[in-house]
Amino acid sequence: MLIAAAFCFMALRRLISHYWLISGRMTHPEELVNETVALVTSLLLLAGVIFIAPLFQTIKQAAATLQRSKEELEGLVAARTAELNEVNANLATELEERRRAEQLLAYYAEDLKRSNAELEEFAYVASHDLQEPLRMVASFTQLLARRYRGKLDKDADEFIAYAVDGANRMQQLLNDLLAYSRVGTRGRPLVPVDCNSVLAKARANLFMSLEESGAKLSSDPLPMVRGDEVQLVQLFQNLIANALKFRGANPPEIQIATQETDDSWIFAVRDNGIGIAPAHQQRIFLIFQRLHPRSEYAGTGIGLAICKKIVERHGGRIWVESEPGHGATFYFSLPKGEPQ
Amino acid sequence: MTGRRGECRPIEILMVEDNPGDVRLTLEALKEGKVRNNMHTVSDGEEALAFLRRQGAYAQAPRPDLILLDLNLPKKTGQEVLAEIKEDPDLRRIPVVILTVSEAETDILKTYNLHANCYITKPVDLERFIEVVKSIEDFWLTVVMLPPK
Repeated sequence: MLIAAAFCFMALRRLISHYWLISGRMTHPEELVNETVALVTSLLLLAGVIFIAPLFQTIKQAAATLQRSKEELEGLVAARTAELNEVNANLATELEERRRAEQLLAYYAEDLKRSNAELEEFAYVASHDLQEPLRMVASFTQLLARRYRGKLDKDADEFIAYAVDGANRMQQLLNDLLAYSRVGTRGRPLVPVDCNSVLAKARANLFMSLEESGAKLSSDPLPMVRGDEVQLVQLFQNLIANALKFRGANPPEIQIATQETDDSWIFAVRDNGIGIAPAHQQRIFLIFQRLHPRSEYAGTGIGLAICKKIVERHGGRIWVESEPGHGATFYFSLPKGEPQ
Repeated sequence: MTGRRGECRPIEILMVEDNPGDVRLTLEALKEGKVRNNMHTVSDGEEALAFLRRQGAYAQAPRPDLILLDLNLPKKTGQEVLAEIKEDPDLRRIPVVILTVSEAETDILKTYNLHANCYITKPVDLERFIEVVKSIEDFWLTVVMLPPK
């Protein structure tokens, strides 16, 4: 406003001096031109100031509007930030909870692993250390039998025979328990293994039994898997030996076939033996479970339990499909061994 | 070249074993063998070294022709006894047969590294045990030429 008044004052002064010039003595025409220019300039300035004032007003209003929207926006941002903070806090809590749950899970997994390892170590140590005193019992009852059979009375011979038999069986059980716990405690790392060579080794180990029983053992070309070769040989060997042991009236015929899935191979070992009733198909994989009296089939009932443990150590599964009298097919899965 | 073959003296065997049952079984098995022998037994590692160095109660002990050494012994373990025998320039010539229940690969490796002369796992079965003792006797006391005393 002050500026506007100053321009008004200047314009008025120019107007007066101009009037003076025109009406009074016109000494210099240049002066007149100068004064005219100055007057026009002043008038123009005045007009400018008069126009600028409402412009200022508009600007001021715009600024106010801007200020308001800024405040509104700030409010909105603050609200949004608060909301976000809340969500973040919730997320942090959730994360913390999840982390804790994961920690707990890891702890339980570790605990389970440890107790499993302890259990296996226990079985190993127990069977190993039990061997020593048992060896004494077995050795001296055997020595008794060797030196005194027929020299005491009939009862004594019978008692000694039972003692020797019991000690021998217990030794077998301990050996088998040791073998079973070794699957977990003494296993080698899993590496690519050619199952054809695994089968060849199992076949060589079973050469005598295969010959004696007149068995026919045939197989598809077998794939590479990731495994512990020693254990895989034992797996094949146990399954084939079972097929020979539980054979039917005809010479044993054993076929090995495979089927590929996304990440593993499924092996099928099919025989023409006596088969297994559905009621027993789970039980046979448990340690020291037998379906027949010892007088019919020898053994402690460890073979399939070891098979199960080997397959599970490889991350696979084992099961059987069978009908009594129509043979049995044992299936197991093993992880693929070739580079994907 | 005076092996023991020309001599008629019995073979001296030192058995280091803490289980009397095993000592007796070994004796019984040796009884069935054909070599005349004197078996001496000690039941821990320290006693074994005292026997070999003729210390204390063992001042009159004979020098053994063969040592049967168990690994799991009280006081000094079989490995420690073996190490001391094989470090001793006078004793290191005596063959040491490790006779143990352990089938652990680490035990086998460790004892051979300590210059054990052979490593035998005690068979569980009596018949096998007797066979093994007889084969130790046959190999070390009749097949092999031992160093002169």
